[in-house]
Amino acid sequence: MSDLLRVDDVHKSYGDEEVLKGISFEMDRGDVDVLVGPSGSGKSTMLRCINRLTEIDSGEIYLDGENVTTPDTDVNALRRNVGMVFQDFNLFAHLTARKNVTLGLRKVKGLDKAEAREIADAQLERVGLLAQAESYPAELSGGQKQRVGIARALAMDPKLLLFDEPTSALDPELVGEVVEVMADLASEGMTMLVVSHEMGFVRSAATDMFVLDDGKIVERGAPTDLFENPEHERTKSFLQGLNSAHGGDG
Amino acid sequence: MSERTTARGVPVDGGLPGWRRAVGGGAFALFWGWLVVRWIHDWFIVPNPAGDRTPFVPVGPFDAANEVLLSLADSLGVLGVPFDWLAGVFAFAAGAIPSLPALAQGAWLTVVLTVVSIALGFVLAVPLSVARVYGGLGLRWVALSFTELIRGTPLLAQLFVLYYGTNLTVFIRNVPGVGMGMVPDQAVWVAIIGFTINSAAYQAEYIRSALTSVHSGQLTAARAIGLGKVEGIRYVVLPQALRYAIPGWSNELIYLIKYSSLATFITVGELFNQTESIANDTYRYTELFVTAGLFYLALVLSASLVMNSVEDWTAIPGIGQSGER
Repeated sequence: MSDLLRVDDVHKSYGDEEVLKGISFEMDRGDVDVLVGPSGSGKSTMLRCINRLTEIDSGEIYLDGENVTTPDTDVNALRRNVGMVFQDFNLFAHLTARKNVTLGLRKVKGLDKAEAREIADAQLERVGLLAQAESYPAELSGGQKQRVGIARALAMDPKLLLFDEPTSALDPELVGEVVEVMADLASEGMTMLVVSHEMGFVRSAATDMFVLDDGKIVERGAPTDLFENPEHERTKSFLQGLNSAHGGDG
Repeated sequence: MSERTTARGVPVDGGLPGWRRAVGGGAFALFWGWLVVRWIHDWFIVPNPAGDRTPFVPVGPFDAANEVLLSLADSLGVLGVPFDWLAGVFAFAAGAIPSLPALAQGAWLTVVLTVVSIALGFVLAVPLSVARVYGGLGLRWVALSFTELIRGTPLLAQLFVLYYGTNLTVFIRNVPGVGMGMVPDQAVWVAIIGFTINSAAYQAEYIRSALTSVHSGQLTAARAIGLGKVEGIRYVVLPQALRYAIPGWSNELIYLIKYSSLATFITVGELFNQTESIANDTYRYTELFVTAGLFYLALVLSASLVMNSVEDWTAIPGIGQSGER
């Protein structure tokens, strides 16, 4: 069992509506997998089940061979290993960029101030924002906020990073800087599970693409294969829709 | 005025223009300077717990000025009306001045009641409001019942229940040291307990609504980096919510300064109590209550000033009123 992440027949309902209808997939270390699919297909729910911001109804999720969906799993320990980047950034609004990054290091990992600061500054530099370390979120652009969000997740040294539509709240001209950071992470071997319709990123960085529709993975494969020879009707129509929406995209 | 900013770079509106700021600042310095000197004088320099304290300013010149102006007004006929009024001002001062030392002592208790009760009430209000917003059903219900019970009944009734209806008074009276020297007597302690409980309920409401105005994604993000729920509230939600709560909370402080006058009904010798007892003895109701009103006004304006400063010190770009851009 060398998979870093194994998702096994996960089901999740909200009331009467079943959002996830038996999802299974696995990721190796260093994989960059992208979940695509129409809105409401369960992509974000799937991500949130992995770090247990949402509790699954049935099925199992293994991180590094360990079942993390048991009742006695320490969710806070799990979340130390699984970072998350949010669509609307969710930077801690009262803290500077640097303190956004150090909070987890100080209060979760118990590092002292100097150590935390050193790590934070290294991560802020990695996303190109060391100069903005003392800025508050309200003083940053959307793209900068999201890069701080990535630095905050990276600082915890996670085994897996989850990205929940990291660029969809951004103005188009700010998408590039975030995608660039993500592509850098991918090339450095970070294991990433990404919900995104940013096809530029998918083509350049994704190992595999999972197409979700109506709570199921209807097709999976390398992006080039799926783009060129989509087998499933849903995949075809979805990718066509994306291409026209993004003006041809390559 | 050049544009001022706080330590964190949030712009602050310029405040009052220069000369009004100077006059206001002078008035505050005079009031607080006199008050503090009076307290120190009456406790340490000429301790005289029995009463009969001499005012710093003699009454004689004011009486004399009143006399002179009155006779001047008389001699001028209709033209003397302004002098008549001016004479009234001196008569008012002459009537008020002898009560100032007692009012200063009363103001001390008013300040103590307010500051101690608002602070202790805050300590209770934070967990209460967190319980209201983030607690389970049981906790939410307990917190809701408490706040509604306290906010739904008269403060005076609460004080009477505590003072006359429970053993609290006897219990506190038997605590060694109570009522000796600088330690206030049991009525003051009961009043502090009553105001603390009452204020906690109101403060909890202000903080509760501030908590709900913090975006839910903030706690989600805190949980996502591995913070527990309580830690997430402590380190992420509360620091923001308390900033949002400052304007409403300041209101509660101002109310409490004035509501503290209800302590007179359980025999606490605070500002209102001193005023009323002197007025009853001297029949100088106008002088006494107008002067007491000016005391309360000065206390309230001071509290507003302090809270404005607190708001400026704690301002963060993007949070709270002064942070809006």
